Amino acid sequence: MEGVNKVAVIGSGTMGAGIAQVAIQNGYSSILYDIDQQQLAKAKAQVFKRLERLVEKGRILDEESIQAKEKLMVTTDLKSLEKVDLVIEAAPEKLDIKKSIFHQLNDICSPETLFATNTSSLSITEIAGYIQDPSRLAGFHFFNPAPLMPLVEIVQGISTNQDTINRLKDFAEKIHKYPVVCQDTPGFIVNRVARPFYNEALRIMNDQVASVEQIDRIMKKAGGFKMGPFELQDLIGIDINLATTRTVYSSFYGENRFRPHYYQERMVQAGRLGRKTEGGFYDYASAEH
Amino acid sequence: MIMPQLNISIIGRNQAAESIFTLLKHNYFESASLNNDSQLAHAELIIETENLERHEKINNLKRIDGLGSQGATILSSTLQWTATEVASWLTHPERLVGFGAFADVGQSQLIEIAPGLQTEPQHLQLAKDQLKLMGKEIEMVEDEAGLVYPRILSLIINEAIFALAEGTASAEDIDNAMKKGTNYPDGPLEWAEKVGIDNVYAVLNGLYRQLGEERYRPASLLRKLVYAGWTGRASGKGLYYYEQQRLNHSSNYQNV
Repeated sequence: MEGVNKVAVIGSGTMGAGIAQVAIQNGYSSILYDIDQQQLAKAKAQVFKRLERLVEKGRILDEESIQAKEKLMVTTDLKSLEKVDLVIEAAPEKLDIKKSIFHQLNDICSPETLFATNTSSLSITEIAGYIQDPSRLAGFHFFNPAPLMPLVEIVQGISTNQDTINRLKDFAEKIHKYPVVCQDTPGFIVNRVARPFYNEALRIMNDQVASVEQIDRIMKKAGGFKMGPFELQDLIGIDINLATTRTVYSSFYGENRFRPHYYQERMVQAGRLGRKTEGGFYDYASAEH
Repeated sequence: MIMPQLNISIIGRNQAAESIFTLLKHNYFESASLNNDSQLAHAELIIETENLERHEKINNLKRIDGLGSQGATILSSTLQWTATEVASWLTHPERLVGFGAFADVGQSQLIEIAPGLQTEPQHLQLAKDQLKLMGKEIEMVEDEAGLVYPRILSLIINEAIFALAEGTASAEDIDNAMKKGTNYPDGPLEWAEKVGIDNVYAVLNGLYRQLGEERYRPASLLRKLVYAGWTGRASGKGLYYYEQQRLNHSSNYQNV
């Protein structure tokens, strides 16, 4: 079976635009699709601006930036995805949206087309069921920001075949990402194994074993982590972090290890979401943290 | 004020004890001794490091009680038991302070200590001063099994071991995912081999018993590794060795 030449990315939010940028920077002609024309224009402008900034910083040559820009096409017509070899879906995390997209793509694309979904929380096995041949679909999970984070989790659904996994691994390496392969389990690897870093820190803090500041210092200086669990929640967004924990918890059908902490919910209720609200576990309004 | 280096005795047959002994020698604590009963009577600070076996820990404390000076301060590792519980095994419980001691304790920049309910301030102060002389930063936290860093890391490692045992991904992919997806300094499985898989088990076991919650239940594979003695770097065998064995086995069984 042939490798991938032409790529399509569905959804032009932060993730979709980031993935499209990675693809075109690595020489792949890419079509970015969205139902919203305005959002699409915004995403394209963002990608172009980021490429220009890379030129200013001397990370890439002007020529490379121009070539990359020429490889990006945008469309609101799903039918123009007819000839792509790989579709990476990065639409909102709602099953009915993904279902409708894959139903249409099933009829539009060739039987050889490889399908991937960037979902971080939904079942790959369920999404694969939306196309006629579920062996051709796998998870392809990027980390935010996609142009910078080196990891991609390739997720094998119950029906995904080995050839699909191999081709996606090959593609991941071609776009200079580091692929790991995992089974279709809640939270895949990273979002699952990282849960205790936040959850247990919240528990320790709430039980008065140590303060927020102490826990962050200890994890950095005794453990060698680059950021403490509370600094990192402030950076990610406490609401985002809680949402991930909730999803993993419910996907494991209430496994005790993943139970969210009520204190994290209180922070969200108080509107203290982290850096983006200038206050979370730390304050960011007046002084530099 | 210049703090004098005191006479220190270490009691414990594990990597943590050796790691602290190396650290003391490196910092010119000339009189420091390791598992030397004849030195115990002269020690002003006694460091005790058993993390796994309760009867072993009790024996260590009884030996210190019998052979050491009754005025000496005792710094005892509290991965599996609280400082309050360990102190209760002594004739004079007010002289014991808990601390976190994974196998690599000597190399870490910061050490956590925790007083038990009975600990008196002069013993806490002495323990702090001597740790500072060894070049360590100190955080004082409340007395709970596993303190902060050993507790959080052990839970991360436990989750990674659950994922490995369930066949979610290979050991190498689990480690690399955490390093490249969230910037962890080490992958959780290789980290477990470094700090001692038996120590991770000790922390989880302690929390499971103290707090009585399902969330602290050690993965079955983790227990089995401890029984098999595949506890990481110290034994030369650990999670990666286990994975290799499992792969060999499955191909052998196919040939039967």
